[in-house]
Amino acid sequence: MSTIDVGDGDDARQGLITLVITVVELLIDALEREAVRRMESGNLSDEEIDRLGQQLATIEAEIEQLKADEGIEDGVDDLRGDLDGLVSDAIEQLDADSTPRHAPGYSVFGGENS
Amino acid sequence: MTTDERPRDAPTNATDASPDIETGRYLYCVVQTDDDATLETTGIDGESVSVVAEDGIGAVVHDCDSLYDSADLTQIQHWLVRHQTVVDAAGQAFGTPVPFQFDTILRGDDTRLREWLREESETLRPVLSELADHWEYRIEVVEFDAPDDRTLVERDDRLAELDERIADASEGQAFLLEKQFEQRLTELRTARRETMAAELEADLAETVREVHTLDRSPASDIADVARAEDETEDGDDAETLCRLTVLAHEDDEDAVGSILDGVAAEDGLEVRFTGPWPPYTFAPELGTDPDGQNGDPTGAGTDTDPL
Repeated sequence: MSTIDVGDGDDARQGLITLVITVVELLIDALEREAVRRMESGNLSDEEIDRLGQQLATIEAEIEQLKADEGIEDGVDDLRGDLDGLVSDAIEQLDADSTPRHAPGYSVFGGENS
Repeated sequence: MTTDERPRDAPTNATDASPDIETGRYLYCVVQTDDDATLETTGIDGESVSVVAEDGIGAVVHDCDSLYDSADLTQIQHWLVRHQTVVDAAGQAFGTPVPFQFDTILRGDDTRLREWLREESETLRPVLSELADHWEYRIEVVEFDAPDDRTLVERDDRLAELDERIADASEGQAFLLEKQFEQRLTELRTARRETMAAELEADLAETVREVHTLDRSPASDIADVARAEDETEDGDDAETLCRLTVLAHEDDEDAVGSILDGVAAEDGLEVRFTGPWPPYTFAPELGTDPDGQNGDPTGAGTDTDPL
């Protein structure tokens, strides 16, 4: 994946929202991991943990609602998948410097009986 | 991801491909044979396919005068399927072929082709003899009834502990604990999948010459087209545990089959085994050698590989 296509016209709005929400989701994921880490560290009071969790739960619910309203649940999932692929590709390319590029996976065309 | 993201209506090789080829030979594959022949199959765009042999190496070709380039993806898919059909037919007639990438064209006539075969025989001969009687087999292991969350909680102390804490937690804390719970579930499922895949890979490695792990979900559009028919039979809860491709001697096909039978015998697992295929994954990329040693022998360059 070398480009993120946000489309044009009406598509552009939805494409842009999809992109923004995807980025926000990734940010929330990171926040949640940090919150879990702090909870497990034992430095937060029960009350603080509860507040933190509730805030994150609220944000997550808002985002889910927004995705449903905009009809972009699939779009966000796809983009996250693509971004995962991008990261994997980047890692493979690092490896490829040392080994000849002989990557399997490019040859799955055709049906079984063709 | 192996799909080529370049726009299809923008020729990527405008500088060296646009000129007329005038006389050229489209290369499907090379095989071991001593005699010229005609292959009983039709090539890309209905061309008749012939085998031009020199020094024991036969090139499977058709006459052509231009590259196969199109903005129409369906058209390209048709070409690719023809390309593959010809390579398959060549394999059946002459034994394991060494396939070329789609749209590999050698400039010139049969005389030039023979000359090129002689020039490249030092490269081609060892590849052909190494791959002789070896074929590629594709393996996909699909799980239908993955253990559910409850089962995993019973098996894993950490999950059980989180589960208990969630029950006693305040609302906010429960939210964070559930995140941990989900993360642990994902870890366990991933670990389980990887263990199974690694065991299978190790078992196969004892029998076959090479094993490669493929992406669990093929990224290529072409693959999607080819698999479209398969999709319907997958239940919603079917998950691909691993996809492997192996290079095996044809005599070892049964041995591979019985390893896979062992896997398929486990509850909830299904194994899809296809082949023999020409060794697409295991043949060196002739004609596009990045080292430049034998690189781009075609004079015309190869077009974008849409796979």
